[in-house]
Order: sequence, then C-alpha cells, then structure tokens
Amino acid sequence: MAEPTIPTINFKEKAEELLPQGASFESCLTCGLCSSGCPASGIENMDPRKFIRMAMLGMDEELSSSKWIWACTQCKRCQHVCPMSIDISQLVFLARSNWPQEKKPAGIVRSCQLIQSTDSTSAMGLPPEDFVFVVNDVLEEVRELQPKFKNLEAPMDKKGAHFFVNQNSREPMSEPDEMVPLWKIFDIVGADWTYSSKAWAAENFCMFSGNEKAWFEVIRKRVDAVNKLGCEVWLNTECGHSYYTMWNGINRFGMEVDFKLESLVTYYARWIREGKLPVNSDWNRKNIKFTVQDPCMIVRKAYGDSIAEDMRFVTKALVGEENFIDMQPNRSANYCCGGGGGFLQAGMTEHRRTYGKRKFDQIAATGAAYVLTPCHNCHSQMEDIGHHYGGSYGVVHFWTLICLSLGVLGENERTYLGPDLLECI
Amino acid sequence: MIEEARHFTAELAVIGSGLAGFAASIFALNRNIKTAQIGNTGAIAYTTGYLDLLGSLAPDYAASIEDPWQGLELLRSSYPEHPLCRIPQTDIHTAFEQFTGFLGECGISYSSPGKTNARVLTPAGTLKPTLCMPATMQIGTTAFSRQEPCVIIDFKGLKGFSSSQIAANLKDQWPELRNTTIEFPDMSLGEIYPEVMARALEVPETREKLAKILVGAAGETKIIGLPAILGMHSPDLVRKEMEQLTGLEIFEIPTMPPSVPGIRLREMFEQLFPQKGITLIPQQKVDKLKIEQDGARLFLSDSFGPITVDAKSVILATGRFLSGGLEASIDGITEPLLNLPVTQPGSREEWYREKYTDRRGHEINKAGIEVDASFRPLDNNGAPYSNNLFAAGVILAHQDWIRGRCGAGVAIATAYKAVEEVEKYLS
Ligand SMILES: Cc1cc2nc3c(=O)[nH]c(=O)nc-3n(C[C@H](O)[C@H](O)[C@H](O)COP(=O)(O)OP(=O)(O)OC[C@H]3O[C@@H](n4cnc5c(N)ncnc54)[C@H](O)[C@@H]3O)c2cc1C
Ligand code: SF4
Ligand code: SF4
Ligand code: SF4
Repeated sequence: MAEPTIPTINFKEKAEELLPQGASFESCLTCGLCSSGCPASGIENMDPRKFIRMAMLGMDEELSSSKWIWACTQCKRCQHVCPMSIDISQLVFLARSNWPQEKKPAGIVRSCQLIQSTDSTSAMGLPPEDFVFVVNDVLEEVRELQPKFKNLEAPMDKKGAHFFVNQNSREPMSEPDEMVPLWKIFDIVGADWTYSSKAWAAENFCMFSGNEKAWFEVIRKRVDAVNKLGCEVWLNTECGHSYYTMWNGINRFGMEVDFKLESLVTYYARWIREGKLPVNSDWNRKNIKFTVQDPCMIVRKAYGDSIAEDMRFVTKALVGEENFIDMQPNRSANYCCGGGGGFLQAGMTEHRRTYGKRKFDQIAATGAAYVLTPCHNCHSQMEDIGHHYGGSYGVVHFWTLICLSLGVLGENERTYLGPDLLECI
Repeated sequence: MIEEARHFTAELAVIGSGLAGFAASIFALNRNIKTAQIGNTGAIAYTTGYLDLLGSLAPDYAASIEDPWQGLELLRSSYPEHPLCRIPQTDIHTAFEQFTGFLGECGISYSSPGKTNARVLTPAGTLKPTLCMPATMQIGTTAFSRQEPCVIIDFKGLKGFSSSQIAANLKDQWPELRNTTIEFPDMSLGEIYPEVMARALEVPETREKLAKILVGAAGETKIIGLPAILGMHSPDLVRKEMEQLTGLEIFEIPTMPPSVPGIRLREMFEQLFPQKGITLIPQQKVDKLKIEQDGARLFLSDSFGPITVDAKSVILATGRFLSGGLEASIDGITEPLLNLPVTQPGSREEWYREKYTDRRGHEINKAGIEVDASFRPLDNNGAPYSNNLFAAGVILAHQDWIRGRCGAGVAIATAYKAVEEVEKYLS
C-alpha cells in the first residue's frame, strides 16, 4: 500500500475561521516574545513565531508536514505572553487533525483508541469490571490491615452522590495503593462521593491526537455518566488535561450539562480553610523544601491564577510557609513541563527531554527536595527529566502529603517518598 | 455547564498594564487605595529597562539633554502642551523615587533619579541619555566615563546583540573596549534567546560553568559587559554571584526585544501585585467600560468566563496604537473604549512628514486624548468626561515619547499625578 500523504492545509484561510473577532494572525508584530518563552522553540528547527510567519507567507506544505506540531504541547504560554494574544496552539491542533492516522505518533493514537475501546474511557484500556474489582479488592485490604479505616468506603455508582470523582488509570492498573490516600481524605472530611463504573477514567488523549470526533465521544460518555448518577459536581482528580479536555470540550461542543466541573485542588484548599482537613506542618521538623508545579491545563488554560493560589495555600499548610519555594516563572506564566499534549505518549523521547530542560532548570533553581503537583503527566515528566538531567528531587502527589501530615499514610502508600520524608513519619 | 460569574470591587480600576498602569497601581498602593488592574502585556516586555525622563527637546529634538530637570524648564517655554509640563518637578522626582524604590524592594534594584541624565549603552552600541537604570547595568556607564579597559562578550546563536558591532560603534569614544564571542554552556539548539539564558543562570551549576568560560574570555581585563541575561527573577543576586565566581566586574547591556529587563519587570509585577493586595487581571482586555456618576463598571472575560469589576474611579492607561489604546483607520484616529475625542492631525496626509527619518518626528506621534489640570479626559465640549475618570501614560496627546526620549517619564509622572487626583476625588 502506498504511504499515506499529509494533505496540505491553507493555514491563512483556516486561521480566519478559527480565531475570534479581532484576534488575527495578521496582527503579529513578529516581536518574538512567544518564541523566546516557548520551550519547544528550536525543536525540529521551528518555533511559534516562525510558524505564524510561515503560515502568513503561505508556506502551507512545509507547515502541514512539520513534525514540530507534535512537540508543541498546546500549553498556550505563547498566547499568554503575546501582546496581541495570538493563539498558536489552535493552528497546531488544526495541523494535528490533518495528519493521516497512520502517520501520527503511534503512542498517542493508540492511547485514544484504547480510550474508545471500553466504557471506562481508560487510556490503558482497563474495562469497567476490572476497575470495580481492583477498587473493591484494595478497599477490603485497607479495611483489614488499617484498623483506623475499617469502615473506609469507596462508593461505586452511588446515585445522587454530591461528587462524581474520576480516577487516573495509572493507579488501578499499576499502583492501586495510590488510590487509598484520596479515599481517606474523603472519609476524613465526610464527603458524599462516588466513583462510576463507566466513564470513570481521567485521561483523554483524543484531543491531543487531533481527533475531534473521538474527543467529543469521550466527553459525551463522561457527561452521560455524571448525569446518570445525578451528581452535582464532577470532581477532577489530580490531573491537568482531563480537566481541560472536559471543560473545554463541553464549551467547544456546546453541550448542556447541569453539574459543575471542579478540581480537587480547590476542595483541598476549601476543606483546610474550613478546618475539615486539619493538616499542619509540624511533621516537617527537618525543614525539607518543596516547590509546586502549576499544570498549565488547569492554571493558565482554565481557572487562571485563582487555583494556583489554592495550590500554594495547601502547600504552605502542608510543609510550612518557610519551606515553600516558588518556581520561577510560576502560576499562569509557568512553563509546561513537556509531558503534556501527548508528548509522553508520542515516543519522541529526545525532543521531550529537550523541552523539559526548561522545567528541569526551574526546579533546580529552587533547590527544593520535592515538587508537588496535581497532575499525573507533570508528575511522570518531572521524574523522567530529573533522572535524565541528574536532578536529586522527588515528585509527590498532594494526597500523599496530606495523609502524611494527618498521620494516616499507610505502609503501601509511600512509593514517592524519599528517605528524608520517610523519616518524618 | 454551571458557572459562577466573577465579580470584583475596588476604589480604583487601572486599565492598562504598561508602565503607566503598573506605576499607577504602585502609587495607589502607597496611598492605600484599593486597586484592581486589568490589561494584557503592553510595551513593557519590550523595554530596555532604562527609565527615561527627558532626553531630547521638542520641537526639533536636536541635542541630547544632559540635565533633564533643566530640560523640563525649557520644555515649558518651547512646548507647554506637553503632559510633563503640567506636573511640578518635585512631583516628577517623587514619582521616580517611589517607582524605583518599589522595584528595588521587590528585588530589581534601580539607580535613584539623579540631577543629570546618565549616558547608557544601547543594544546597537550607541549611547543614549536616561534617568534611572537597573543596578545590573550601572558599571557599564562608569567604566565608559572612566575609560577603563573592558571586554564586551556575546554568544553564539544569540541574535539581536553583537559585541563586534558595539565595539565598532564605540571604538572612537572608548578605545579600551574589546569584544569576543563565546558559547553558552549546555545550549545546543540553533537560535538561543536571552530569556532562556537568563533562566538558565538562575541555576547555580550553570553560573559556575559560565563563570569559567568568562574568566577565559576576559583575559587580563577586569571588567566585562554581557547582554542582559543575568537571571530573570533575582538579577542582583545572579550578578553578584557571577562577580564572586569570576573575580571580574560584570555589567549588562540591553538586547533587542524580546529582552530580559522588560520580562523581568512584567513577571515581577504579575507575581507581587496580588501578594500586595492588588486585584490583578493580567493578559485580558476590558471589552466595555461604563462610567456613571458614582462609579464605573468594567466588563471583560478570560478563558474561564465573564468578569465584572465595579470601581469608584478609573485610570485609563491604555497606551497608543501598539497597545490598542488608540486605533487608526481610514476615517482617522479613535479611542475605542469610550470614544473619547482624540486630538490628531487634520487629515491623513498630515500624519507623516515626507521623510520617515525627519528629526522633528511625525504629527501622528503626538495624537492622543486631552485632559484637564486634574488629568481627567475631556469630552467633545472640552469639559471633563466624568469626575471619576482619569488618564495617564502615552495615550495622552502632545508628546512624542520616542523622539523626546521620555517614555517612562510620561508614563510614571502622569500616573503619579492621576493617582493623586484619584485620592482627592475619593476623599
Ligand atoms: C520597543 C520599545 C522600547 C522601549 N524602550 C524604552 C526605554 O528604553 N526607556 C523608556 O523610558 N521607555 C521605553 N519604552 C516606552 C515605554 O515602555 C512605554 O511604552 C511608555 O512608557 C508608555 O507606557 P504606557 O503604559 O502609557 O503604554 P503601553 O506600554 O502601551 O501600555 C498600554 C497598556 O494598555 C493595555 N490596554 C490597551 N487597551 C486595553 C483595554 N481595552 N483593556 C485593558 N488593557 C488595555 C495594553 O494591553 C497595555 O498593557 C519603550 C517602548 C517600546 C515599544
Ligand atoms: S508574541 Fe505574538 S506578536 Fe509577538 S511574534 Fe509571537 S505571535 Fe507575533
Ligand atoms: S502552545 Fe506552548 S509549546 Fe506550543 S508554541 Fe505555544 S508556548 Fe510553545
Ligand atoms: S503535563 Fe502538566 S505542564 Fe504539561 S501540558 Fe499537561 S498539565 Fe501542562
């Protein structure tokens, strides 16, 4: 069979359709702020300013087939710093959609296919019955071995629960004990929550694979599942893109939903403020230093700085104000880690690490021993670049540290703790 | 989807996030006025970091001015409409002091406003007059005035900064100046940007690696000039550490945009303002502004949905064409938010002089809105548009800040004055 070819897009024409009124690519001042602030600049000899200029010059063939679009994580930092608010990630999405399925990076395509393959919408293809089994299995074990939690619950398909909580596939698939800290947190605050056996998964690589139809289908399944259980809040776990793809998808596809979309981080902050989660930093006697990674998918691209403030509030409460060091730049101006946009799945390891060098430098500059982040992709990428560039930091989930602070972190829930943190228990 | 609309209230809403907008918020903070500031990145990210008060005199902008304070006196007779002529010199001085003082407190030290302009290095290797400069650049000025031996260093892959061009341009005025080119440690990919180098230098390990290379490049010379790359978040500290590591005196020279000194300012403001209690909505534009007798309402939206801000008073600091404070079309120049009357040349033919490089500048560059003595914009009848609306920055008519080398001067001084008037209004 002949190699499929990549059709040529007329970027200039498409840009006019895509962009909101008044925000035209023609208004680009070629100032280069976008490229200067983009970690993907230079990869595949491309950068955002060059992309715009080539689009304006009609160099459509080169752009349509440029591999760089798979190195741009669609993090929208370029738009954030652009005085004209030009959004290059839209053109990148367009270009991704245009590639024939066979040519796209196989890893992203496969992740999207797996998501579509079961009612779970899990990128690892874990079917509903397996998910239910793993949850119950782990729950039973905790009840048995941790007397404090002998009545712990992990409700499944509970109608009318306040929170519909989603779950990254990574935990039930490969590190099931990592689900437990969050259950404990729900137990302690007395949250009325449920998992769903259907559409429970948090990943969504269909958007990144440039497959709009599949993206819509995934979101539709998830919306249906929440509606079916009649929950008031779809509570997104510690994950960046699953929030963004749902929130943005609902708006993009004009879907009607009568529940709220919320991020777990804002609830951590609320529960601490309300005294329901009585965390403190007394355990951090050795003054171990922490920084936080703002996932662009929930900060810059969605909530804005308010959720970044919540993250800092929670972190300071957990580790002590004096032990928190902010990354520079931060909040909405933060760099993407380089794990997003399907980069971790795309198999372009060298490019991904080149992109991640910026993040590595940011972390190294803080001198922190740990990075806290509410995003699974950020988590994996920061661990990988840490090993690759010889960093000595660890990466931890918020739920781990919350349970550590409350003195309820079980033996099997300590995977991400280094010896220094283990000593604090 | 169920969304919550966000709503903020303030005593003062500052529209614009250029130098004038940020300065206004700082002055308001100093006067305990509860402030909300809205605006996306303006020209601030392009600035050299130099804060010019007055470097050249209207109407013909001939000689470069050494004493800007005396220059302001001359301006009063040569071009009294200029906004800087409406503000007492002591206020202008205080404005610069408060502004640079704030920057210093926040980790970017600046020289205080002095009696004369300093002669500072531009990216092209020319000299220009300015009033205040970042501390990281100061040694360059003293080394030049003392004619000390110095090496300017640039980097492979860096555009917009050429040490050989600088040295060639300054050869006659600074015979002891040399230049060389080096490689920045661990940067492989083609074009490298000052921003990326600056961030890399926040990491101690990179500083150590670069220090070794710099020592080799300096040879016997004890003073070196680098493009502005000495850290993003803590330039004073990075410079000090580099000096300690190398045993050299080190200064920065601004690069062509996008340059680090401007990004430093923007990131610092964006990070510190919220901590200091200012409601900052960055990267967004106000779509609609409704001014009423007893207050104003601003309408905008970000990616998360609509936002409204209610404020008792407003400072309009939306800049000129580049930033969207003024709009030029076939029919002339307009002010888009309130449709305020814009003073402008009679017809399009008069916008530009025949020669683009004409020293006297172009009429279009003096276009802008009119204000009364309290810096309140005027309506079509020449009366204040409203008692609670003020304006500051280069949106004001009767100044060509590029020719007059008074960009920061106009922005900071008029912001000071406008905030003073806001305070009077609020009490
Ligand atoms: C390349 C360059 C180099 C410069 N170098 C120097 C220098 O070396 N020294 C010096 O003193 N000055 C310099 N300047 C000038 C200086 O940076 C400022 O341009 C000048 O002081 C004007 O400031 P401003 O705040 O009035 O306007 P601007 O900086 O233009 O800011 C206007 C702001 O208003 C915002 N805005 C517009 N419309 C809206 C709206 N509807 N809602 C919300 N916000 C809105 C814009 O986004 C922008 O943030 C330089 C300028 C440029 C462009
Ligand atoms: S930052 Fe915006 S205006 Fe500047 S080059 Fe990039 S797209 Fe163009
Ligand atoms: S979206 Fe992010 S990665 Fe892509 S061009 Fe913009 S800044 Fe670069
Ligand atoms: S992995 Fe993290 S930083 Fe990267 S795109 Fe996703 S949320 Fe953003």
